[in-house]
Amino acid sequence: MTHLIEADHVVIRYGTHTALAASTFHVPRVGATAVIGPNGSGKSSLLSAFAGLVPTASGTLRVLEQEPVQAQRRLSYVLQHTAVAKTTPITVREAVGLGAYPKVGLWRRFGAAEKAAVAGAMEQMGISHLSERHLHELSGGQRQRVYVAQAMVQTHEVLLLDEPLTGLDLVSAQTIDDLIHRERQDRCSVLLTTHDLDEARAADWVLLVNRTVLAFGPPAEVLTRHNLEIAYGLGALHGWEGFLDQHTDDEVP
Amino acid sequence: MPVVEWFIEPFALGFQQRALVGGVLAGLMCSVVGTWLVLRGMSFFGDAFTHGVIPGIAAAVVLDIDPILGAAVAAAVMVVGIESVNRQTNLSVDTAIGLLFVGMLALGVVIISQVPSYTGSLTSILFGDALGVTSSDLVRQAVLAVVIIAAAVLLYRPFLALAFNEQKAELLGMQPRRAHAALLVLIAASVIGSFQAVGTLLVFGLLVGPPATASLLARTVPRMMLWAAGIATVSVWFGLILSYHLGTAASATMALIPVVVFFVVLAGVRIRARVAAPSEVPAT
Repeated sequence: MTHLIEADHVVIRYGTHTALAASTFHVPRVGATAVIGPNGSGKSSLLSAFAGLVPTASGTLRVLEQEPVQAQRRLSYVLQHTAVAKTTPITVREAVGLGAYPKVGLWRRFGAAEKAAVAGAMEQMGISHLSERHLHELSGGQRQRVYVAQAMVQTHEVLLLDEPLTGLDLVSAQTIDDLIHRERQDRCSVLLTTHDLDEARAADWVLLVNRTVLAFGPPAEVLTRHNLEIAYGLGALHGWEGFLDQHTDDEVP
Repeated sequence: MPVVEWFIEPFALGFQQRALVGGVLAGLMCSVVGTWLVLRGMSFFGDAFTHGVIPGIAAAVVLDIDPILGAAVAAAVMVVGIESVNRQTNLSVDTAIGLLFVGMLALGVVIISQVPSYTGSLTSILFGDALGVTSSDLVRQAVLAVVIIAAAVLLYRPFLALAFNEQKAELLGMQPRRAHAALLVLIAASVIGSFQAVGTLLVFGLLVGPPATASLLARTVPRMMLWAAGIATVSVWFGLILSYHLGTAASATMALIPVVVFFVVLAGVRIRARVAAPSEVPAT
């Protein structure tokens, strides 16, 4: 079985700050992988390294058995809170259409296939009626659906999402969650970061992160009480033991 | 005086017509490039740039060489200077721009103070010499305008992706660093191509004024460029008419109009929004 990600002593550094200490792990080509850990634990850095946006300081990282930068064309990445300047006059349709740029390049006109892909993605995300709106005229959840639609238009084998459901309204969260499940069924791998234990339990593979990859494997093996106490710190868990126990025999949807 | 004559008389003579053509060409290239400048929030950079070329032009005046060549060299020094301060220190980019801005401006004044007709030379560099534009200047300016506008249109996708989000631009294969460099070159080229007609100080007025006004009116970037080009053209034309009848400085009058138009349009947009009642954006 080919691996989605293979990491051997990977270190990620910004200047003198180490975001991720030497981590060795792998991710098989499974449906969904969750990267879970506390705030500032290096989850986003890890995802950015997978996408080839952040170079690794040392170690070797292979994505789809290629260098991350070379594999970039095979991924689609939904960034966390994509900050778009309020002044940029860009409509929902145009923003979703950006996803077709790798395919059409600098000058080729959008063909029927690209237009259909844009319309289809907007339809699936339930934003067709907003197509002529400006990005800054939308709610946070609607905007996030635009970014997911954009990523769907982009040709990809792997979909990366950085905290796709954090802080969203119910409709938006449900729409995006449904898509994640559909993508898994379409033999496309999904890799997402999350704070949410339930979300991580629903995945096929989990990376538990806090400044380094502490554990990896199927959720039942990784999300043990022992591991979570290490990841989140003993003190932090005090008082929400019930929260952990409640979910230990959670069903996987 | 009949109304028609009031509009026609300012353009009766050849030098007046050349001033109009030079101003319109400057307005067109500045509004297309200025649209991206405004969208990327690079106004301060544009401001610094229009002053940064002064020592090059001043040196060209002193040495009696082509001022466009001098301006191009100064523009290159400016970009290299800003980039190296950026890379080698932790100072924010506006400090780097500010340093080069004041340094180049001061150097320009130092150089030009060597010229006997000091004040006159400085004034014509800063405020342009719209009525002294020659036909060969115009030909050169027109060629530059065509190249600049074509480049800005051809690079629409990388520029839009960059204005959207730099990381996303990279993920989409739109090479944001190269796109940014290309934008700097286009800004420099439009300053160099326009300063003879409207002066270095007032090129900035055309780079920022019409696109800023257009952003109040347009919902897409191509529309914004069209609005900006229209506003710039009308500003140049009406500015020259006013300066003729009021006896005011031509390029300053041209630069003043887009700024006045901005505030008029802003007031209009606000009033219309107030009248149209507070219809909120519905959720979902």
